[in-house]
Amino acid sequence: MSLLSVLIFLPLLAALLILLVPSAYKALYKYLAAGVSAVQLLLAAYMYTSFDEKLAGVSAIDSYQFVEKLPWIRLNLGSLGSLEVDYFVGVDGFSILFLFLTALVMFVAVVASWKIDKQPKGFFSLLLLLNMAVMGVFVALDFFLFYVFYEVMLLPLYFLIGIWGGARREYAAMKFFLYTLFGSVFMLLVMVGLYFSVIDPVTGNHTFNLLHMMDGKNYLDGSIFSVSGDYQLFGIAARLLAFIVLFIAFAIKVPIVPLHTWLPDAHVEAPTPISIILAGILLKVGGYGMIRICYSIFPDIALDSAWWIGLIGVISILYGALNALAQQDLKRLVAYSSVSHMGFVLLGIASLTPEGLSGAMFQMVSHGFLSAMLFFLVGIIYDRVHDRMIYNFRGLGTMMPKYTAFVAIAFFASLGLPGFSAFIAEAFTIIGAFNAESVNGLLPRWMAIGGAIGILLSAAYFLWTLQRMFFGETRLKGGDEWKARLTDVDGRETFVLVPMVILALLFGLMPSLAFDKINASVLSLIELVSGAK
Amino acid sequence: MISLTHFLLVSALLFSTGLYAVLAKKNAILVLVGIELMINAAVLNLVAFGRYDGGLYGGQTFALFAIVLAAAAVAVALAIILNVYKHYKSINPDDINDLKD
Amino acid sequence: MDQLSQISTPVLAALIVLCAPLISFGLSAIAGKRLRSGIPATVAIAISLLAAIFIFATVWNGQQVHQQTSWFRIGEHSFKAGILLNNLSALLLLLVCAIALPVHVYSMVYMKGDYGIHRYWLYLSLFCFAMLGLVMADSLLLMYIGWELVGFASYLLIGFWFTRPAAIKANKKAFLINRIGDLGFLIGIAIIYTQFQTLDLVALFGDHGMVREAFNDGVEWRYAQHAMPAFWLTIAGAAFFLGAMAKSAQFPFHIWLPDAMEGPTSVSSLIHAATMVAAGVFMLVRISPLFDAQILLLIGAIGAFTALMAATIALTQQDIKKILAFSTISQLGFMMVAIGIGQYGVAIFHLVTHAFFKCLLFLSAGAVIHEMQHVKETLKLELDPQDIRNMGGLRRYMPHTFRLTLVAALALAGLPLTAGYLSKDAILIFAFEWAEWQSAWWKFIPVSLLVTSALTAFYIARLVFKVFYGKPRISAIGQGTNYLHEAPRGMLLPMLFLGLCSLFPLFSYNPLLFEDTWIIKGFELPETLERVNIYHTVVPAAVNGLAIVMIFIAWRWYAQGKYPQGSLRGRLYEFSAAQWYLNVMYEKGIVKPLLKVSKMLYAFDRTIVDGLVDTGAGTVRWFANTAQWLDRALVDGLVNGVGKAAVFAGGVLRGSRKGKIQYYLFSMFLVLLIVLFVGLKIFSP
Repeated sequence: MSLLSVLIFLPLLAALLILLVPSAYKALYKYLAAGVSAVQLLLAAYMYTSFDEKLAGVSAIDSYQFVEKLPWIRLNLGSLGSLEVDYFVGVDGFSILFLFLTALVMFVAVVASWKIDKQPKGFFSLLLLLNMAVMGVFVALDFFLFYVFYEVMLLPLYFLIGIWGGARREYAAMKFFLYTLFGSVFMLLVMVGLYFSVIDPVTGNHTFNLLHMMDGKNYLDGSIFSVSGDYQLFGIAARLLAFIVLFIAFAIKVPIVPLHTWLPDAHVEAPTPISIILAGILLKVGGYGMIRICYSIFPDIALDSAWWIGLIGVISILYGALNALAQQDLKRLVAYSSVSHMGFVLLGIASLTPEGLSGAMFQMVSHGFLSAMLFFLVGIIYDRVHDRMIYNFRGLGTMMPKYTAFVAIAFFASLGLPGFSAFIAEAFTIIGAFNAESVNGLLPRWMAIGGAIGILLSAAYFLWTLQRMFFGETRLKGGDEWKARLTDVDGRETFVLVPMVILALLFGLMPSLAFDKINASVLSLIELVSGAK
Repeated sequence: MISLTHFLLVSALLFSTGLYAVLAKKNAILVLVGIELMINAAVLNLVAFGRYDGGLYGGQTFALFAIVLAAAAVAVALAIILNVYKHYKSINPDDINDLKD
Repeated sequence: MDQLSQISTPVLAALIVLCAPLISFGLSAIAGKRLRSGIPATVAIAISLLAAIFIFATVWNGQQVHQQTSWFRIGEHSFKAGILLNNLSALLLLLVCAIALPVHVYSMVYMKGDYGIHRYWLYLSLFCFAMLGLVMADSLLLMYIGWELVGFASYLLIGFWFTRPAAIKANKKAFLINRIGDLGFLIGIAIIYTQFQTLDLVALFGDHGMVREAFNDGVEWRYAQHAMPAFWLTIAGAAFFLGAMAKSAQFPFHIWLPDAMEGPTSVSSLIHAATMVAAGVFMLVRISPLFDAQILLLIGAIGAFTALMAATIALTQQDIKKILAFSTISQLGFMMVAIGIGQYGVAIFHLVTHAFFKCLLFLSAGAVIHEMQHVKETLKLELDPQDIRNMGGLRRYMPHTFRLTLVAALALAGLPLTAGYLSKDAILIFAFEWAEWQSAWWKFIPVSLLVTSALTAFYIARLVFKVFYGKPRISAIGQGTNYLHEAPRGMLLPMLFLGLCSLFPLFSYNPLLFEDTWIIKGFELPETLERVNIYHTVVPAAVNGLAIVMIFIAWRWYAQGKYPQGSLRGRLYEFSAAQWYLNVMYEKGIVKPLLKVSKMLYAFDRTIVDGLVDTGAGTVRWFANTAQWLDRALVDGLVNGVGKAAVFAGGVLRGSRKGKIQYYLFSMFLVLLIVLFVGLKIFSP
């Protein structure tokens, strides 16, 4: 069993252990979960440091690292050949960053759920199940395996929002579930279509192997997704349709405008740790899926539709930012800011320049730390007074100086202050998008300028919030009662926040920490995609 | 010549009388008498058909068996009626309607 | 380690310059409230000053020093971090440190006892670090980082007293307007990177840099195999100028600077008068080869207009700091004009002289405000300590402050023997010479500068006379007890230093001729214009003549109290006092509509986008409900119906004879009969 499998299935083991521990020892659950997450974090950090950055991965199996391939399902289907599904996992530049990010955010989420006392057994075992699924998604190299992890991810989340959420939790959980399911059901169809179009060059059987799907030579002539692209469904080229379907499936996760409306509701209703996980990792599954599946398997279509993807990115940036400006609920504001910031990911991916793609990857990692931090900060104030309407607070700076300092750091880091990770990400996404017209002619230059205006707007809503909630004379809706309850951040909260500040700073000052790992993969992906012309 | 039909006719008469007593009488003892009449109608039938038994006397044997059983049944039934009377102070079947739901 | 040994001495000194404030910042950040003393910050900036002097001595008019190290790689491009020391950056390093040190010393007295003083030193060190980093950066990316960080430090310092509503509105405004400029800067960087694939300043803008080598025929802008339509060159220039306009408070982005006066006065003097606001000018000089003729004209025009506009507003302001703020905007306009006419050395020269005398003016104002605040508190009066209408006659109580203010005011007005005379005359003379070669319309630039300098003399004279001459406006001050004191030595010494720097000897041995100034000589002059000698005599005479007339009028009006009552208070006065109504226009024209759009978009999001989703879900639910009704009413209904019918029939049949055994037996008999009868009927052969 390779290190990677240990990393994936460790939380599952811990979840089973938690189920075995009787409820009388319920204080043990969180320690168990935190312990396992810490071990995972160490493992992920070890993998991160021992990752060989010269190996590109993407479509070449021999340059993947920590690979493990075991036959999983072998079914003889008679005339249809035999069904081959492998347990096939491996790591390349695109996944290594997310592995580390997942381990980190999961650890933060466990610490953030320290005060959960409603059915802790269920909560922590679901959390760990989710942990396993997310880890799996980021390393699966077999489409079937990917799909299984992708769907397993959905289940714990539904319950985590639906049971431990806020007032309208059932509505939010249902909305989230249906949205995502809507996307993934069609993904299943494409997956089956791909299976029947692709054969393993060695065994000659149909295969779910993602890497084989990336090579045009493995497609059967005349099959539904054959590279010649003459097969039509409903009057649209089959490959285009498949790309759109997969794109929508992942775009819902990202999310893009107009498929974003699950996000504010889910965030607002979800308990703090789940908000952290949602914003910190799950949104990245969308971006990762686009790179790993949409772009790698359908590079020809990706080139043709770059303009549209870029446009969607710019619209998401501006629309999300303007919506955030109108919010009165702090958590909803952060949720809309996520929509805006994830728009940069789309813009960067669409540009298909090294700068844009690296910027997009960096933005995902940076947004992982920062949004987790933002949601955690909102959670702190909500824990204390069960209110987070911006207008109900004023002048928190005098009462909670440390908290205000953390909020100010998180806000300024998110709005792209140099020195923090988001600055590098956004600046290079913009530069890459601007560069695209000269390099490959995929995006017009005004899209980059549109994205830059989003940076301006993000400063507007964050600063306005700072002014309204934290500065000025103290005035609270709940009067003296709130004043007594609004204590400054305690040791546990500082313990979570400080590492995230440090990481955001570290990645901002030394972007090579991330860029070096992904460089080879980024170049190789660009070669793969632009080679499809 | 007294044929089988005559036996059956008498038996049917006896059975009908018994049935009438069982259904109509307002006294449990008379209902019991009705039951005895019906049993005896059956016994008469057994003896009458026993002639066609070809020397095995199955009908007669069965008749004797039935008479013994009937005697035992009467004893038990009378005991029940006695107890019912003790309990309900009546042996009119219409008064004993605990079976209704 | 290997790299460390390769670092040259000036670069090492530059690292010391940069790191000293950073270390002080780190100390303050870690210590928090426990470190209330300003000594670490002051010592740090003193160390920086020493190192900066060393750098200046080595680098000035010598070899340019440029060292860099690899920072990170994206794709095939390597991004480097490094330090570029040449005349420009060495001079600015020295200037920033030389201004920052007196301000630090001054602050130790001025800010003493403030509740949040630990934050003050924290922010101030951060500012120094960012500003020094901005100056010595060797690539556009690093410069942009410093550029944003100084804006951030300025945000923190403007909002230093964060419980004041005006302060927190002002800092938000400052940051947002600077963000607009940053946007321009970023787009400029994107254009440069797209065209040249590098952001290195030396490679781009050096003597044989890519920008100079690039080919431009008005249709296509080409370097090596990269080409763009030529208008992108103009856009690049405009984008960088947008950044400079926001940072250096040029019309129409100047509105943040007057509001920024909500910060402590010491901060205003350092950041919003001497250093940060001049960063725009510095940046434009740094990338000057990029500008084509149109952009230079634009810079000149905006600069001249800003100078004039700000001067007209400064005439009527009553807040001592606001007057100085508008004066700063106006003087920055002068520097922009110098850039617009291609005289980069002159622009930097004016930047340097202005930094000294404007910083001194602010510090003097701070000393006055300090005393007024003291009076307000001891006498428990309701007054605005910054309003010049409450001051007057302070000359007698604060003689040293008065003298130093006078030096700075004369420098601002541009009278001989001061540094301001040299730099301002240089700009005016070059502007007139430049206009000779332009179409007649562009004469408006030098003429408006001339008018501006007359107005400048008037408003600064008004300030001096209203504050220091006449009788005290507050009746209690004049009687008996001395409520007003001279500023303490800790404040006077730094002011004295700045006062000395505002005089001519520091810059030129000849008090009347700017041509001998070493700073201007330190910068390469662009193509030498033909000297029109007449300007070199007429212009200084005109400027000084006008200034003296203006000062005389101001003396009559404000010092002697012969103010022409009522006659001046017309529409124009209101227009000037209301700062040309620009704030109102921004509020109504941009802020409100933006908020409205965002509200509308949110309503759109909730009702239309989410509404569609909810309608979809609702439709599905309606179908589901219908199906469920059908299921319950029809399919299940049929099954239940059979059962119910049986129960009903049983109930009917059972009637009233419940529990009657004989009735049951009768029924059984009857049924038996029926069955027998029917059975016989059917099955009988």
